Amino acid sequence: MSLNLKSVSLKLDNRQILKDVSLEINEGEIVSVIGPNGAGKSTLLNVLTGDITPDSGDTIYDNRQLNKISIQERAFTRSVMSQMQTLVFNFNVKDVVEMGWLQRGNSDFSSNFSIAFEAVTKECNVQNLVHRKFNSLSGGEQRRVHFARTLLQLWRPSQSNDPRYLLLDEPTANLDLSSEMLLMNILKARASSNVGILVILHDLNLASHFADKIAIMKDGEIKAFGKPEEIMTDDFLTSIYEVPIKVKYDPLRVRYY
Amino acid sequence: MTSRAQSIKSSITEFISSKQLLILFLLCIFTFVSVFIAIGTGSYDLSIINFILGKNTGLQNIVLLEIRVPRVILSAIVGASLGIAGAALQGLFRNPLADPGLIGVSAGAALGATTIIVIGANFFPNLYLGSFLLPVAAISGACFVIFMLYVLTKGFGYQGVTYMLLVGIAVNAIAGVGIGILTYISSDAELRSLTFWTMGSFGGVTWPLLIPAIIIITISLIFLIPNARKLDLLQLGEPEAYRLGIDVQRVKLSIIFTSASAVGASVALSGMIGFVGLVVPHLVRLIGGVNHKYLLPGSALMGACLMIIADLFSRILLQPAEIPVGLITSAIGSPFFLWLIFRMKRL
Amino acid sequence: MKYTLLIFISFLLQQNSFANECSPANDVSRVTVAGGSITEIMYMIDAEDSIIAVDLTSNFPERARSHPQIGYVRALSAEGILSLDPTIIIGEDDMGPPAVLEQINRTGVEVAIISEKHNIAGIKSKVECVAEILNKKAEARELFDTKLTPAIEKLNIASEKVSENQIKAIFILGLQSGSPLIGGMGTSANGLIEMIGAKNVLSSFEGWKPVSTESILMAEPDLILISNRGLSAFGDIESLRQHPALALTPAAENNNIIAMDGMAMLGFGPRTIFSALNIANDILEINDK
Repeated sequence: MSLNLKSVSLKLDNRQILKDVSLEINEGEIVSVIGPNGAGKSTLLNVLTGDITPDSGDTIYDNRQLNKISIQERAFTRSVMSQMQTLVFNFNVKDVVEMGWLQRGNSDFSSNFSIAFEAVTKECNVQNLVHRKFNSLSGGEQRRVHFARTLLQLWRPSQSNDPRYLLLDEPTANLDLSSEMLLMNILKARASSNVGILVILHDLNLASHFADKIAIMKDGEIKAFGKPEEIMTDDFLTSIYEVPIKVKYDPLRVRYY
Repeated sequence: MTSRAQSIKSSITEFISSKQLLILFLLCIFTFVSVFIAIGTGSYDLSIINFILGKNTGLQNIVLLEIRVPRVILSAIVGASLGIAGAALQGLFRNPLADPGLIGVSAGAALGATTIIVIGANFFPNLYLGSFLLPVAAISGACFVIFMLYVLTKGFGYQGVTYMLLVGIAVNAIAGVGIGILTYISSDAELRSLTFWTMGSFGGVTWPLLIPAIIIITISLIFLIPNARKLDLLQLGEPEAYRLGIDVQRVKLSIIFTSASAVGASVALSGMIGFVGLVVPHLVRLIGGVNHKYLLPGSALMGACLMIIADLFSRILLQPAEIPVGLITSAIGSPFFLWLIFRMKRL
Repeated sequence: MKYTLLIFISFLLQQNSFANECSPANDVSRVTVAGGSITEIMYMIDAEDSIIAVDLTSNFPERARSHPQIGYVRALSAEGILSLDPTIIIGEDDMGPPAVLEQINRTGVEVAIISEKHNIAGIKSKVECVAEILNKKAEARELFDTKLTPAIEKLNIASEKVSENQIKAIFILGLQSGSPLIGGMGTSANGLIEMIGAKNVLSSFEGWKPVSTESILMAEPDLILISNRGLSAFGDIESLRQHPALALTPAAENNNIIAMDGMAMLGFGPRTIFSALNIANDILEINDK
């Protein structure tokens, strides 16, 4: 099963934001989208989530047209993490995480809530923040809470085989090193549980280390798509970013230059 | 527990804490107590105990059943409508200063009422239309605004609540012009009726007027309360809410229209009563928290209590005369409003 | 649904159940009064002992103010009034709201509505009507013979003379949005000015309206009539004279400004006749000088 964009084009305010873009995210795979600002990465994500309808082309979820899938069903299939608004009212951290728990008619499911809740809050290292007010947290802590919510949305009992997808837009922005690694490792763990993941990253090192496939975007087009070692070459990256880039292979963990 | 019982239990206890459930329960009790006290207190000398024991005179019973009880019930219903509509609109607009007046519904109702006060008298001089035509006109005014809101927001689709607020401001302005013109051409007598209507009062309500109001408002509340969880999710922003499975456009329309209906019916019967929609949700949040499954019913209950008490004061402070209840709610509401603003600045 | 519709329609078609009749009431032992001019009349026809409550405009005579207060005539409280246990409530056509009157009537209290006309005939019929309702015809006769009729006769003569002088007058009730609030067509003030024999030179509009400086100046009023409360909105007579909207009028320049108690002038009870007479005499005195 997979999420697909097929020949998607979109014009906004007379600018061609996406030009005939196609992309596939398979279950169990991490696809990272990279590219300079203004390439159309966030727009691509928004078309994939269904926020925006493209002018032409199709968005396909598991072989079904997105527009034939109800809004609620979409929420069961994919969860999204992107730019966050501030919360006007003083919710608890627990409330915010809980917002990811979609009401499921199945009562067997709702009895799993506390198990699921404990699992994701522990995983994201926010279990000690649960009783605090969300607005009193630091930016990084708030992000981890939103991440926990996003994970909760996709939570399934272990015997489930539902296809699930996680879409993230620059989730590591403003995160400290340990949080960054925590998040990426969680993504890796999810991928091995067969969740399909699309993550927009600005950090090329992170992308190359964690992604199974890379999509490089520029000017509304996907210039290359494939395994990191195949497409991340000196010349190609330099031409994309218009800044001299040297690629070095390091068998150990990622180094930061 | 059977799975059916389980799902009923979880639909009540999900997304609301036990502390909050307790507060709601206490508010229920408080409301009943207020109703009882309000029915038993007033200028006219009578007691409920005597009524139950059958010891009241016929006149006392008439005053009790035809004057006091409908009045107290109306104040409770109007208070509940304004309270819950205020909470829903603050959630929808993600703005703690939102108020039913903001979306223009009160102005629409006022426009309808003004039209009838100023012009109606000229067209229907021989018919005694008095107390019934006014509420009908006010509800029509509110419906007109609702219709305008519907047409204007539907055509522009996914535009966000800022746009809706702007539409509300525009509607208020238009209604204001209409009311201004009508006020200017009004005779002195009409002007004074108008002034008193804009200060709000529960006097003069009778059962035939009350029953349609109860129906409209109850239906609105029934449609509003299931939106509680969705209002929580909307706090993350409209894109996020959509991604969590909420049909945002539908929720927006549903909340706007049910609030407008409830508020329109209330304004129609009792005139403009301000601040309740603004103040009550904040009080309820202060006491128990912000999630809407608690907030919406809590605001309805507290709104009812507050209004019952305000009406009680309006009846007894200057007896046998009455103070318009809108003055009392403004007197309490304005300082609270100021305090609210200062508190926001600190955050 | 049908039932609701039926109630709705029956409400629409309901005739006003309190016809403007002056027939004697059944029980006049406890009277609630909603109108200052009616209170005035009751004191003058020796009916004051049956008064149990009055409204905000009942300020004459002084001792009338000591009664329990029912508030503003247009915003009466059913329960409040009933708690005083009246047998009848007497008011003018601005008494309301209608629903409250309904409620009061349904408990057995009579509701008498007296229509008001802003002229001498109107005042006379008002007195007669009140007397008829309260069964004080003899006392009313005496009031007419000893006080009202002579005053009316003098007023008729005086107003003739005033109209010969073609006095241009305006009535100011106060200030609204910075401009003087003037009585136009159909107002009690208009009636007063006509009773005096003067001409209301700002009567092209209906009701009370704020009027611009230019219109006031174009009207060139010789005389300004103003209520005491209206005067306090300006300050005192000097401030009134110097107000930009009025300073250049003949009335202000010649200090032809008369201020009196508002109800005495506009209540259209017997006091209005005496007030009109005083004002007419003042005008003639000024003109003679």
